[in-house]
Amino acid sequence: MSQASSHIDQHDPSHIRNFSIIAHIDHGKSTLSDRILEQTGTVAARDMQEQLLDTMDIERERGITIKSQAVRVNYTADDGETYEFNLIDTPGHVDFTYEVSRSLAACEGAVLVVDATQGVEAQTVANAMMAMNADLEIIPLINKIDLPASDPDRARAQIEDGLAIPADDAVLCSAKTGEGVHDLLESIVYNIPAPVGDYDAPLRALIFDSYFDAYRGVVALIRVVDGCVRKGDTIRIMQVGTETLVEEVGARKPSEIALDDLSVGDVGYLVTGLKDVAQVKVGDTITLKSRPATKALPGYRDVKPMVFTGLYPIEGDQYEPLKEALEKLALNDPALVWEPETSHALGFGFRVGFLGLLHMEVIEERLEREFGLNLLATAPSVEYHVLKKNGEMISLHSPQEMPDPSEIEHIEEPYLRVKILVPPDYVGPVMDLTNSRRGTFVNMNYLSSTTVEVIWEMPLSEMILDYFDRLKSSTKGYASLDYEMAGYKPSKLVKLDILLAGKPVDALSFIVHADNAYNRGNAIARKLKEIIPRQMFEVPIQAAVGGRVLARTTVKAKRKDVLAKCYGGDISRKRKLLEKQKEGKKRMKAIGSVEVPQEAFMAILKVDD
Amino acid sequence: MPYEPYKALYIHIPFCVKRCGYCDFTTHAIAQDDVRIDEYVEHLVIDIRRSAKAGDLSEIQTVYIGGGTPSHIGLSRLSSLLYALSVSVDLTREGLEFTMEANPESLDERMVRDIWALGVNRLSLGVQSFDDEVLKVLGRAHDASKARDAIRVALERFENVSIDLMCGIPGQSSTSFEESLREAAELGVKHISVYPLTIEPHTRFDQLVLAGELDEPDEDTEAEHMELAERVLSEYGFTRYEVASYAKPGFESRHNTAYWTGVPYLGIGRSATTMTQNGERRMRVTDGEVVDDLDRRQMEAEDLMLGMRLSRGVSDERLSKACEFIPEALAAMEELAGEGFVDHVEGRWIPTRQGWLCGNDMYSRLLELAP
Repeated sequence: MSQASSHIDQHDPSHIRNFSIIAHIDHGKSTLSDRILEQTGTVAARDMQEQLLDTMDIERERGITIKSQAVRVNYTADDGETYEFNLIDTPGHVDFTYEVSRSLAACEGAVLVVDATQGVEAQTVANAMMAMNADLEIIPLINKIDLPASDPDRARAQIEDGLAIPADDAVLCSAKTGEGVHDLLESIVYNIPAPVGDYDAPLRALIFDSYFDAYRGVVALIRVVDGCVRKGDTIRIMQVGTETLVEEVGARKPSEIALDDLSVGDVGYLVTGLKDVAQVKVGDTITLKSRPATKALPGYRDVKPMVFTGLYPIEGDQYEPLKEALEKLALNDPALVWEPETSHALGFGFRVGFLGLLHMEVIEERLEREFGLNLLATAPSVEYHVLKKNGEMISLHSPQEMPDPSEIEHIEEPYLRVKILVPPDYVGPVMDLTNSRRGTFVNMNYLSSTTVEVIWEMPLSEMILDYFDRLKSSTKGYASLDYEMAGYKPSKLVKLDILLAGKPVDALSFIVHADNAYNRGNAIARKLKEIIPRQMFEVPIQAAVGGRVLARTTVKAKRKDVLAKCYGGDISRKRKLLEKQKEGKKRMKAIGSVEVPQEAFMAILKVDD
Repeated sequence: MPYEPYKALYIHIPFCVKRCGYCDFTTHAIAQDDVRIDEYVEHLVIDIRRSAKAGDLSEIQTVYIGGGTPSHIGLSRLSSLLYALSVSVDLTREGLEFTMEANPESLDERMVRDIWALGVNRLSLGVQSFDDEVLKVLGRAHDASKARDAIRVALERFENVSIDLMCGIPGQSSTSFEESLREAAELGVKHISVYPLTIEPHTRFDQLVLAGELDEPDEDTEAEHMELAERVLSEYGFTRYEVASYAKPGFESRHNTAYWTGVPYLGIGRSATTMTQNGERRMRVTDGEVVDDLDRRQMEAEDLMLGMRLSRGVSDERLSKACEFIPEALAAMEELAGEGFVDHVEGRWIPTRQGWLCGNDMYSRLLELAP
C-alpha cells in the first residue's frame, strides 16, 4: 500500500514530537501505548488488541516488551494544530536496558510512568537516570489511579524526593479506563521540544533498531537528525561502510505506510534489501553516498552478555537447525552471542551468552516454540577470569573449560552493584538473603518514609541462582531491583563435579565458592536424586571437588513399573498412558546408560541453601 | 471386509452404595431405590434386545456384568436384566462363562440362588482385603466378616468364585496382605485378581496424596507384595496366568482372556467399550466415541503387547505372523530378551520376573513397533 505523505510540512520539524514511554516492569506502559493509539484514532477501537505494540507471542503472553517499536500518531491538539507524534515503546525489564538507551537517543522527551499503587521502583530510577543523561524532557505520569489502592500523592512525593523530578504537573492517568490520556497528549505537545536539525545539511540518521524481514531484507528503524532520505537514494552506513539502495521509507501507524521521504526530526523505517543485519548495525549513522556527512552521530556501546548457558539439541540431528535458529534470532538481537561447545555427556551444542536470565528464558522459549526445537539447557554460569601460574589470563564461559587446579594462580568473578528499593520493614530479610549470597553491604538511603534504597555488591553468579525470585518472596513482592556491572574481583572458587554411576558428567558441573562447595554439593546430590527417575539398575550420584567426594546419594533400581488392570476400555487408556510415558522419555537425555530428565541440568537453580 | 462377530459381551452397571476414595471408574453413589437405576436398567434391556435382533449376540461365548456394583441394584432389577439376557444370548452354549460382579455388603443367599437360576455361573467379589484396618483406609462399605460371609454364601451355589485383593495400600503390612491371600485360598475361591493400589487423578486419594495426608504407594512395597502373591498363591495351587490374575487350573477367566487375545467384544451401558475388528482394522468405541482406530500393523503390535502380559506369552508362530506385518518385531523381541524382560523357552516368548514387575518398558516398546 502506497500513500502520499500526510504530515504537515515536509521539512519543518516544529510539529514533530518524538518520545518514549519508560517505566518499571508492569507499571502499565504497554497499556498506555495502546490507549494513545486508540484516543488519537490511529487504531479503531474495534481493531484494538491488548498490547498492540508487543508483536511477539511471548511478549503478549508474558506481558513484557522485549523489542523496541516505533509508531507514528497524528494528534490534533486543543490549539487546532495537528502534530506528528513518534512513540517509541521500550522494554521495561532490567535485562533489556540496552534497548531502552538506544530508543532514548531517538527522542526529545520521555513519559515516565509510575504505578500509583506501587510508587517509584528500582527500574523507574534506572530509566529516569537514563532519560536525564540523554537530556530528555521528562513528563511524569502517575498511572492506575482507578485502582482502590492507588496513592497518587505518595507517588508524586517519591518522584520529587527520589528522582528530583518536579511532579506538581504530573499527569494523573488510568491507562486502563483512558482517564487522563488527553491531558498527557496535550502535555506532550507543550512540554516536549520539537526536534532541532538542519534540513539543508547532509543526511544523518541514527539507526536505533534493525531487523531482518525474510521478504524485504534488512529493515532499519531510524531517526533523521539532519537532511532527508528518499526512496531510490543510495545510502552509506558510515561505520560499517555498507552502501545500498533505499527500497522504501515510511512510518508505522502502526501498519506500515510508505512515504516519499523521511526528513529532519522524523522517525520511521527504511528498507534496504540487504541480507545481513550486521551490515546495518544498530547505533550506526546513515548518510547519503552522493553527499556524505563528515561526522557520524554518537553511537552506543556494544552490549555484553552476562549469563552463559549450554544449549544442546535433544536429538543429534537438530544441531544444524539449532545453529540456523540462533543465527536467525541473532539477526534481530545483537546481544545474543554463541560459540560451538562439545560436551561428553550431551554431544554437540552451543555456549550461548545472554543479557540476563529473562533474556535467556525468552530465547529458549522462542527456539522451542518458533523453531520447533527440543532443547536441553545447562545451568547458567558467568564469565570467570582465571589467572594461570604461567601468567596467562583466560576467560571461562563454562565450567568445562576450568584448567587443572595446580595451574591456577587465582580466579576472578564478575561483581554487580545492586540497587534494591524496599519498604523499611523488609530491610532485614533483604540483608539476610543478600548476605547468604556473598553480598557486601555498601550503602542505604531513605528515598521517602516508605522506601529505602539499599546498595550492595554481590557476585553475578549468586544473582543468577534464583536471587530475584527469592528477593521477591522474602519481601512479599515489594522489593524491586536494578543492577550494573561492578568489575571483577578475586574469589576462592572451585569446580564442583557431579558423577552419575561413577562417571563425571561435564554438563552437570558448576563453579562454586569453596566455602559453599560442601553444602551445595550435598543439596544438588539430594535434588538430583529426586529428579532422576529410578532406572533398571542402581545409580549412585556423587558430588566431588578435584577428585574428593563431598556428597553421595543413590537412585535405587526400579522395582515395579507395570499397569495391572487392562480390561476393555482400559486398553485404550493404557495405550495413551504408555504413549505419554514415551513422550516423557523423549524429554530425557541418555547419559551413558542413565536416562536423565532435562530439568536435572537446571537443578542447581532449584536447591535451597 | 465384513467385521468379525462379537464373542464377548460386557454390561456396565454404574452404581454403588458409596464411592471409594481410590476409584476412578464410571460409577455413582446413589440409593438403591433411586428411579434413575430403574431407567438405566430399562435402557440396558432395550439395548440388549436391539443387539440381539441385529444378530450381534449370536456368537457370544462370555458375558460379564461389571460395575460399579451390579449387586447394588437389587434382585428385582437384576432379574429383568438377566431375563433379557437369557432370551438374547444362548446361555446354554457349551463352555459359556457368565460372570457377575458383586460386593459383600449387597450379596445375600437369595441373590446368590436367584442369579444362579437365571444363568450366572461365575461370581466375582470385590473383597480387597480381610483386614478391617485396611478396608477402612480404602473406605469400603464392608468389613472382613461380611466378606467371609459373602464368599461362603457364594460358594454354596457357585464353584467358580473369584475375588479381588489389593496390595501396596498405605498402612497395609506384608503380613496383613499375606494373611488375606491365605485366607482367600483357604476359603476355597478359584480365582484371585491382585492389584496394587494406584492413585488415579481426580480421586479423593489423589487429593489426599497432594495434600500430604496420605502416603503415596511405595514402589518397593508394591513389588514385594506382587512377588508375595505369586509365592503364596502357588503354595495353594494357583497359577499366575496374567500380570494381575491367578487361577486354579481351568478357572482362568475366559472373558478377560478375550480382552487380551484380540477377540472382538461388545460393551453395553455407560462407558462400556466395544471392540470391533476385521483383518484390516480394529476400532474401540466408548460412549459413541472412537477411542482407538488401529491398522493391521498396530493390531499386531497391540496383540504382542497384550500377549506379553500373559504367562504363556507369545508363540513363535504368533510372532512370525506378526513379522509378516512388522518385520522388525523379531529383532525387538530378541532385544527385550537380551535386556532380561523376556525368555525364549520351548517355542514361546514369555515374560521374566523383570518382565512381570517392570513390564511398562516392554509394553511401550512393543507398541512403538507400529506407532
